[in-house]
Amino acid sequence: MQKLIQVLWPSFLVAAVVEAVFFTVIDPQALYLLGEPVHYDPLTTYSIGFLAFWLICAASSLTTLYFQRTADEINHPEAH
Amino acid sequence: MNSTAPNPSPKAPPPPEGDTLYAVRQKVYVRAVTGLFANWRWALVWFTQIVFYGLPWLQWNDRQAVLFHLTERKFYIFGWVFWPQDVFFLAILLIISAYALFFFTAIAGRLWCGYACPQTVYTEIFMWIEEKIEGDRNKRMKLDKAPMSPRKLGIKAAKYGAWGAVALWTGFTFVGYFSPMSELLASVATLGFGPWEMFWILFYGAFTYLFAGVMREQVCKYMCPYARFQAVMFDPDTLVITYDEGRGEPRGARRKGVDSATAGKGDCVDCGICVQVCPTGIDIRNGLQYECIGCAACIDACDQVMDKVGYPRGLIRYSTENAIKRGWGTKEIIGHVFRPRTLVYGTVLIAICVAFVWGLATRDPLRVDIIRDRASLGREVAGGMIENVYRLQVMNMTEVPRNFVFDVKGINGIQIAGDHRVAVEAAATQAVTLQVLVPYDAGKPGANEIVFEIHPEDDPSLKLFEKTTFLFPR
Repeated sequence: MQKLIQVLWPSFLVAAVVEAVFFTVIDPQALYLLGEPVHYDPLTTYSIGFLAFWLICAASSLTTLYFQRTADEINHPEAH
Repeated sequence: MNSTAPNPSPKAPPPPEGDTLYAVRQKVYVRAVTGLFANWRWALVWFTQIVFYGLPWLQWNDRQAVLFHLTERKFYIFGWVFWPQDVFFLAILLIISAYALFFFTAIAGRLWCGYACPQTVYTEIFMWIEEKIEGDRNKRMKLDKAPMSPRKLGIKAAKYGAWGAVALWTGFTFVGYFSPMSELLASVATLGFGPWEMFWILFYGAFTYLFAGVMREQVCKYMCPYARFQAVMFDPDTLVITYDEGRGEPRGARRKGVDSATAGKGDCVDCGICVQVCPTGIDIRNGLQYECIGCAACIDACDQVMDKVGYPRGLIRYSTENAIKRGWGTKEIIGHVFRPRTLVYGTVLIAICVAFVWGLATRDPLRVDIIRDRASLGREVAGGMIENVYRLQVMNMTEVPRNFVFDVKGINGIQIAGDHRVAVEAAATQAVTLQVLVPYDAGKPGANEIVFEIHPEDDPSLKLFEKTTFLFPR
């Protein structure tokens, strides 16, 4: 549970900031998806954008957590 | 804190390590409290929530007064319409918020957390519902210990149902800030929201429920970034909720009507009510702790107990580290409000506020972007003239339709072919194509600087100048 929060919460906060900055600067209608102009309505683009940012940030948090394990935890996984 | 007291207060047991931190959480059964600070908290619950729930329903200029219209990429705030180009104001607003937080924290600690933070406010609302449905602290503890029964099931279902309703309404209101409320309202009866509107209503609602109903103090303790760095804004003159250890210790129970000196004890009767009312479940008598959100519930609780036993109030009170150490009264505490830290925070805060208001007041109600038509560079046309074509994006930032008049200067004999005017709808953008003509011998080959001059037809004094270049063929 604690690990889940450690991954999902900081990434949520950062994703919210990134979302605001990104879409302030960039008009969702000016984006291209695989070479085609994005044809979703803006709310969809904003929402997908936010969830994607969240996912990316969560991946980063997860990686941090993964590399944070001590030698002891890696050598003796059964003890933890 | 409180280092003058001879015997150190008992320390809280060290928190368990690692993963167990959340698992062993003792559910905090918060005892309801009344009093001066509770009244303040409730006043702010009412104020913030009337604003939050009410604002999306307000109308202004035949539209929603406050609407962050994502689809149109325009923020409507009463008389103002903000465009993505105005992000500067948003940045300034964030800086103002940050400095306000620094300023108030330096003076009186976690005022924001204790009284205005949505986490506190919704927890307060959810706890009120809990108290109304399940009863007071003792009844709630008994109910939770009791085996499942139809009665318990009914009470729990009622509580979760009421929480769910508040949470859903909160989610709906939240989305109403970003999608027009009138459209949302039309979709309520049929639940015909757009898929993403539905998603965000449920998302925000679910998080309201989770944070205010289930997680509560854990959000402040483990998830709030501010709680972690608050200490850098504190100094020995910051007002914090303080247990007067010198007066209270040694604590202990005593017979009614016995004064402290006779009993050989301090003023603290060790009733434990300050712990029971604490929403984060700490004991304020252990000194300043990062978990303390500064809600002052323990002050109200302790004052009531002091009244009952006939001791003076204020065993737990707003005070400063220096005041406790040096026995200062209110006058000295107020005298130390003005110190370099608060003066710096305050000056910066006022300066940025002034800049913000000034920027807002002098904001141009008109904006123009010029794009030279790349397809046709300088071209010779009839009458010995060179023609350049420009595309202008004219943004009318006011909420009335306006006509704008163009003029161009910079080269002898320069003129605009055709219509000099464009009509732009209220708060809208209009693209215009302008052909500009110059006699073939008036400029040098290559780029020549020219200036477009744009002004509203009804207000010639408001002039906007936009530089661009005019190309002559080589």
